[in-house]
Amino acid sequence: MVKTHVVIAAAIVLACAGAAAAQPYALKAPIATKPAFLTTVGQSADIEMVKVLLDRSAVPYKANAQAKAGDLAASGAKTLVVVLGGSTKGLGAAGISADAEIERAKALFAEAKKLGMTVIGVHVGGEARRGQLSDTFIKAAVPACQYLVVVADGDKDGFFTKLAGAAIPMDKVERMSKAVEPLQKAFK
Amino acid sequence: MARARTTRPHRLALAGALVALVGALQVRAPAQSAQTPLNLYGRGATGANGVVAAAKPEASRVGIDILRMGGNAVDAAVATGFALGVLEPNASGIGGGGFMVIKLASMKEAVVIDFRPTAPAAATPDMYKLDERGHVIDNASVEGGLASAVPGEVKGLLYALDKYGSKKLSRAQVIQPAIDWAERGVPVTVNLASIIKDNYGKLSRFENGLAIYSKDGFPPEIGDTIVNKALANTLRLIQAKGADAIYTGDIAAKIVAENRKRGGILTLEDLAGYQVKVRTPVTGSYRGYTIVTAPPPAGGTHVLQLLNILETADLSALGEQSTAAAHLWAEACKLVFADRSKYSADPDFIPVPAGGLASKAYARSLAALIKRDAVLKNPGAGDPSKYESGSTTSFSVMDKDGNMVAVTKTINMFFASGVVVPGTGIIMGDDMDDFELKPGSVNSIQPGKRMLSSMSPTLVLDPQGRPFMALGSPGATRIIPTLAQVISNVIDRGMPIQAAVGAPRLFQGQAGSLVLEGRYSINAYNGLVALGHSVTVNADFDAYFGGVHAVLYDHAAKTLHGGADPRRDGQAAAF
Repeated sequence: MVKTHVVIAAAIVLACAGAAAAQPYALKAPIATKPAFLTTVGQSADIEMVKVLLDRSAVPYKANAQAKAGDLAASGAKTLVVVLGGSTKGLGAAGISADAEIERAKALFAEAKKLGMTVIGVHVGGEARRGQLSDTFIKAAVPACQYLVVVADGDKDGFFTKLAGAAIPMDKVERMSKAVEPLQKAFK
Repeated sequence: MARARTTRPHRLALAGALVALVGALQVRAPAQSAQTPLNLYGRGATGANGVVAAAKPEASRVGIDILRMGGNAVDAAVATGFALGVLEPNASGIGGGGFMVIKLASMKEAVVIDFRPTAPAAATPDMYKLDERGHVIDNASVEGGLASAVPGEVKGLLYALDKYGSKKLSRAQVIQPAIDWAERGVPVTVNLASIIKDNYGKLSRFENGLAIYSKDGFPPEIGDTIVNKALANTLRLIQAKGADAIYTGDIAAKIVAENRKRGGILTLEDLAGYQVKVRTPVTGSYRGYTIVTAPPPAGGTHVLQLLNILETADLSALGEQSTAAAHLWAEACKLVFADRSKYSADPDFIPVPAGGLASKAYARSLAALIKRDAVLKNPGAGDPSKYESGSTTSFSVMDKDGNMVAVTKTINMFFASGVVVPGTGIIMGDDMDDFELKPGSVNSIQPGKRMLSSMSPTLVLDPQGRPFMALGSPGATRIIPTLAQVISNVIDRGMPIQAAVGAPRLFQGQAGSLVLEGRYSINAYNGLVALGHSVTVNADFDAYFGGVHAVLYDHAAKTLHGGADPRRDGQAAAF
């Protein structure tokens, strides 16, 4: 009995040690090229946090929460980073409806594809940035992404995991600040 | 919230499905909730000696500790008020102001302390530049120095303490708990974490706030604590010097310097000249209960006006959450808000017909305009688009001796102007946005004028004239119908105070959609749509509808009951 407990304890220690080691990220190699263009899909204030993440990842970017498709080519950006999640307040401040926001996003994605840009989706709002409104935007945006970085709290119900499936590599991080490393590794 | 919804498929889930069917997501999607995960338990409190109901459990306990130390309800309210400025920094604080209604057992009549901020002397009706759509350029009435008026909080709270406090406790004792929390650190709740994230851009633009409200360059996460040593030091100065610590001297100079650096127009003379106004409450009745509430520039007159209109109908016979009751509420709200936008302003500058607005006869004439089977179109005049922030706070205190205090105070928007005065921990308010931002309105800007407010701290006496209830709410214009609904829930429906606070609410402005909280009856939703209302369904428990904190005295049981709002971090405390 004692021997069994020792074995179990050792297994737990090894498992913990494994977890603490460097996280194996979903991307085998960088997929994105600098500079980036940053916008939202849902007009949430989370774009402010993603600006900090890109700064810390040493990714130069231009940001426009309400960017139109035509803005992409002019920016010279090679990667489109979209901040996922909706905000009623943000939509109101921008004077845009949810439907119009989705149309704006679709046009951006189509233009990004035409320009050969990589699209990266970032969700840093956790559980609070989920719900019917946010999920509508997330569902509309994720299929257009080639890579996702998600704060784990926002995927408690496996929503992102299911949406990404096997086709879209996704990394989950425990805290917002932990999103710097996967973003760094995503860029060449 | 989604989980909660699935447990009540007959209500919001069905409403949600209906919303999807009509394809109007842009106006009917539930708002993002800052309350997940929602905890409905342990919000209320019951005690024989005293109850404090506030937007943070720690603040309620501060008030109770003061009562235990021998302080009266005003001492407890002032201590709770200072503590909330630390514990709920997004909603109220030294850079803002508010209204307090006090009725001590020894007072024949209640009194209202108006410590609403005032427009600076250099303010003008056209001080904000508007773009072609009529929007303020650079959001200057909300963010930055020009958004700030002359704050009234410290003078207001200390005036109440000096004039109506027990004198058993010193100013230092009453302020000390706020200092302790500033040094110990404010717990970051789900609600606070979400609010900081939503306002991180604003805090970043005026960078001083990041030193306090960020951690490693990011918003603090749930479970972190926010320490504010600078604010603790400012509060220590107030302990030592009283209001002079803020309105004159070194801190006043820092406030003015930072305000002007950020484009503001505050002067040392503005600060030194700020005066608390003591006002006579507006008083009326609702089904035999006496309503005592805050007069203009506060919103209590319209709470009374709304109740007067509703009193013309037998609400209890109409049934809870019935189409007929909700229709009556919605139509009455339209009429009240039409009057509010036309008549209400600072009475020191504009004659406000408060007596008429609050009269039963006038209410009957308005009630006669409401049709059972049709929706009012474009009632009255005014500007229905005026936006006020919901980021206020309200708390109530009652004790066994019959002392009653209700306080509503604010820095206006969450995290207000975004300008934090270096070295002081003070967030400057953005109350200027509550003025009409162009000339020609009764609520247009004038030097020294107080901006119109919906804040309506209210006291209710029972038909025998005994202390019965103290309540108030944040929530911008929603404050007025929200308070009336809670009062009605207690008086018309016999609900316990916690149930009355928690019950689903509705809001209707002068124009625009009728907004229902998600738990509202699907039958009422269908009925209202059939009557011709444009209906928006919000989240199950939505902070949009305010955050009521109330205390009710059950005279038969000699027990005080506190009700606190699950839509925010409310929790009452008692002993």
